Amino acid sequence: MSIGLRPPAVVLAAAERAAAPRSLWSDAWARLRRNRMAVFAGGFLLVMCTLAALAPWLPFLSDPAAQDLAKGATPPTFSHWFGTDELGRDLFARVLHGGRISMLVGLVGTLVSLLIGVTWGAVAGYVGGRTDDLMMRVVDVLYALPYIFLVILLLVFFSKSLLMLFVALGLVQWLTMARIVRGQVLSLKHQTFVEAARALGASDLAIVFRHIVPNTLGPVIVYTTLTVPAVILQEAFLSFLGLGVQPPNASWGTLVSDGAKLLALFPWLVLFPGLAMSLTLLAFNFLGDGLRDALDPQGRRDGV
Amino acid sequence: MDAPEVNGRHYFGALRAPQGQLLRFNLGSEPELRDPGVMSGVPDGRFARMVFEGLTVPDPLTLEPRPGQAYRWERSPNGLVYTFHLRPGIRWSDGTPLTSRDFLWSWRRVLTAATASRNASLFYSIVGAEDFHKGRLTDPEQLGLASPDDSTFVVTLAQPTAYFLMLTTFYPFMPVPRHIVEQHGVRWTLQPNLVGNGPFRWTYWRQNDRYEFVPSESYWDRASVRLDRVVAYAVDDLNTSTNLYKSGAIDWNPSGYIPSQYLGYMKPYADYRTGRYQGTYFYSINVTRPPLNDVRVRRALNLAIDRESIARDLLKGSREAWGRVTPAGYPGYAGPAQVTYDPARARDWLARAGYPGGKGFPRISILFNTSEDHRRIAEAIQAMWKRDLGIDIELSSQEWGSYLQSTTALQYDVARRSWIGDYLDPNTFLQVLTSGDGNNRTGWSDRRYDALIRRAAQTLDPAARFALLAEAEAIALDEAPFLPIYHYFTTELVKPWVRGIHQTALDVHLLTRVWIDHEWRQHEPLASGDAR
Amino acid sequence: MVPTLLVIATLTFVLMRLAPGGPFMSEKDIPAKAKQELMHRYGLDRPLHEQYLAFLGGAARMEFGPSYKYPDRQVREIILQGFAVSAELGGWALLLSLLIGIPVGTIAAVRQNQPTDFAAMTLALAGVSVPNFVLGPVLVLMFSLSLMWLPAALWTGPESRILPVLALCVSYVAYIARLTRAGMLEVLRQDYIRTARAKGLSERVVVVKHALKLGILPVVSYLGPAAARIIMGSIVIEQIFAIPGLGRYLVIGAVNRDYTLVMGVVLFYASFLLVLNLLVDLAYSWLDPRVELA
Repeated sequence: MSIGLRPPAVVLAAAERAAAPRSLWSDAWARLRRNRMAVFAGGFLLVMCTLAALAPWLPFLSDPAAQDLAKGATPPTFSHWFGTDELGRDLFARVLHGGRISMLVGLVGTLVSLLIGVTWGAVAGYVGGRTDDLMMRVVDVLYALPYIFLVILLLVFFSKSLLMLFVALGLVQWLTMARIVRGQVLSLKHQTFVEAARALGASDLAIVFRHIVPNTLGPVIVYTTLTVPAVILQEAFLSFLGLGVQPPNASWGTLVSDGAKLLALFPWLVLFPGLAMSLTLLAFNFLGDGLRDALDPQGRRDGV
Repeated sequence: MDAPEVNGRHYFGALRAPQGQLLRFNLGSEPELRDPGVMSGVPDGRFARMVFEGLTVPDPLTLEPRPGQAYRWERSPNGLVYTFHLRPGIRWSDGTPLTSRDFLWSWRRVLTAATASRNASLFYSIVGAEDFHKGRLTDPEQLGLASPDDSTFVVTLAQPTAYFLMLTTFYPFMPVPRHIVEQHGVRWTLQPNLVGNGPFRWTYWRQNDRYEFVPSESYWDRASVRLDRVVAYAVDDLNTSTNLYKSGAIDWNPSGYIPSQYLGYMKPYADYRTGRYQGTYFYSINVTRPPLNDVRVRRALNLAIDRESIARDLLKGSREAWGRVTPAGYPGYAGPAQVTYDPARARDWLARAGYPGGKGFPRISILFNTSEDHRRIAEAIQAMWKRDLGIDIELSSQEWGSYLQSTTALQYDVARRSWIGDYLDPNTFLQVLTSGDGNNRTGWSDRRYDALIRRAAQTLDPAARFALLAEAEAIALDEAPFLPIYHYFTTELVKPWVRGIHQTALDVHLLTRVWIDHEWRQHEPLASGDAR
Repeated sequence: MVPTLLVIATLTFVLMRLAPGGPFMSEKDIPAKAKQELMHRYGLDRPLHEQYLAFLGGAARMEFGPSYKYPDRQVREIILQGFAVSAELGGWALLLSLLIGIPVGTIAAVRQNQPTDFAAMTLALAGVSVPNFVLGPVLVLMFSLSLMWLPAALWTGPESRILPVLALCVSYVAYIARLTRAGMLEVLRQDYIRTARAKGLSERVVVVKHALKLGILPVVSYLGPAAARIIMGSIVIEQIFAIPGLGRYLVIGAVNRDYTLVMGVVLFYASFLLVLNLLVDLAYSWLDPRVELA
């Protein structure tokens, strides 16, 4: 028996089964609504995103970059709801602005991985044959490289800009996305509606992107919702190593990793950003799981 | 943070002494090299002092050279010939007798290019040393080193180097066992191969974990060693090291291993020790790049740094503002007057250079290796230059490797740098700015400066010599290839029961006479923890 | 497997050489002649393709030469010594996360959409919502600095394992619980489960004896890469707790441009991952008789 590398057997098995008919969106929506935790999470995220997005324009918010060296770090008071950091900056403002950056990082990083992953997986799955083999081989190779090593080198080569950060973060996530999409495409490409489209003279490109990809939306949406928190957490990890968002910008990741180092001295510096970040990530995860339950009731086990 | 209290004094760490005469401390990051002739760096040096000993040893308090393997020495009247007399009966830890030929062989080895010693340049005052090291001289017999008999070692210098004796306390000058090095090659520094002549014997090692030592029975002063066992951990994370001290897992947290944000709060604790360290933090200027090649611009930048504010507000008084190239603490050396904050004169110089009010000044950047501390200082100075000079500066941070590359290759405008003295003499700082010195990294070269340094190296009279060095330093301050910012301080934590560890200007500690005082609560806690 | 490793080796080689700076940079200058000597000793003065071939030849025999940063040690020694520690740390963490994650996920699946489900999943998901470099110091603050029950760091006796293993396993618990829940939800809908229930078997027997074996399939396929990552050392945990594992060498090596160390660790990691994937496929085929090995 030849033991080559191929996607997890889980996805293969799913591909062998006949693809379930496209879930009616209203059906899925009803299922989602029953999951009260997911609904609550969704609402929380809406509030959080709005606050974070509007942070620079909120009238009552202090300037997150305004230093007051003489004051230094102070615990929460009425004038500073979350206290101040060692440079005298208002923590509440920094948490909200940080949320803005974190969400941005999460969304863009996810978008990068989405675009690359979906395209890669769809093309590989549709074209099949040797191209598919080669493309998935690339995925396997990248998967076997230690992530942190790639990131360090990337950031060393191109120095630390926000753009590079997005690329570095999207780098790893797209691999699993590609595998998922490929599995989906494999199972879909022999469906009758595809044959019909081909018979009507649609180009391969059109078939892939206009017919097949929309049918993979279910697992893709789920995985996307679950990738955002993973990316935000990944950025926090990079911040811990000093490679994340660079000052003067601050994300939740930098706030939390800087604050964790001062836990014994100024616990509020990690408590408030940590709570904000953790609750948001928890909400994303609950929403993602809820979406999965709703959109994928047959449970395609995608190995996420 | 809760702090235990004894005798009205608060202590930062837990107060449970270990059993017996056991010392546990953090060595620092894992040493890269354990060969004293090749190594550089503080953790490596700490290891070297445990298992090796040179001709002289530094006094635990003053760092003055004291008899080590040599019990007596003479210096010729012209200051060029040093004759060291080795103690009778000194041996390596495997019992092999140690002779002056070991010193001869070891010092020649350091000066051999193939050894790739990091500190060979410290030997250059010896006759023929620089030529031999750089390959211009090939016969080692022509070096100014001789061992006329087993217990006499003679060193001939090319110029009367005033601090030469002090150099002999430094680890590159320690002997290495020829029979072991030749037997094992590069692996001689591993456990259990390594053999030394110092107060302790190395018994256990796990990389990035810990080193263990016991007293060496072959050491000539075995009777003075009171510790039974020493465990040195290799922890490089500052928080972890401080936590280990706080929880009582280590008894000594050496300088530099307390997170900087804690430093402003450490003064009330009795086990916190701080004092001047022979090091300065400064900004290095690449004088090959316009407009920084104009000395008037550099003077302007230098005068527009409010060092006092940085030390007081940013560093919370844990460091001292400093306006000189050389640090304080050289007895007899007064040095030139320090640079002070003078925004009016700074603006004047900038105007004279052709940028009145900062108009037309190109955008330059401050380079530093990634670190929150460096960034804060850079941001503060960025704000100062903007406010006082009207110029816009960028900040650029690079990871360590790239930063070293950039500074070495002169690919920067202004870069953050530090320099730590190797020996207690102003020359260790002033040498750096001579033309073509590998550690210069500014492109600055001044013939008067070089001449003064050269003349000082040849001057025997200490007062005259210091006068020459001060004159040279005055030139350096005026020309401003370096913009001094602050003076380093040692910041260590030592448990009250550890006696014999003192704060020193070079952060050098000899553990030979350290002992654990289990009756510390009764004894008056002494400020410096003198041995009794 | 070999072609993948070859590509990885080449990629790593190229990337490392492209990075600015080299292995012999330091704050204190090394004289030119000494640097020349070092370059010669490590063969860095030979043409690049020769170095590449020499490296490949050595790699095939698991010989990576001496490390640049620690020149008296062979890279292989360093890796094996670090791996022993990381494997122990990771092994315990993996075991713990399976012991916690699978039951939690199962309970959540059985009580889907009920408060128990939400409670169990909240607990589990905390692992992917709280970074371990926050959890670590919090645990240290609580159990070591305040209560003084456990050591703050280092890898000494058995007590020193507790906090790092706990901090490390938390994020894996989350994934395992979620995968178990998803897998069990799918299996519990199957016809044969309905049959078993109809036969009158107790819920516990149905779940544990019939559903679990197939329900944990997603966990099994996740185990491959998870085990590789967890055992290769968590860089964060190793740094916070000063544990002499393998993870740090990747970062240290990349930062110091320690070519040999980085190559060794990367190839070791890749091989380890590939072997684990193989084992996972085998385990999978054993658990799910419907799947055949290609």
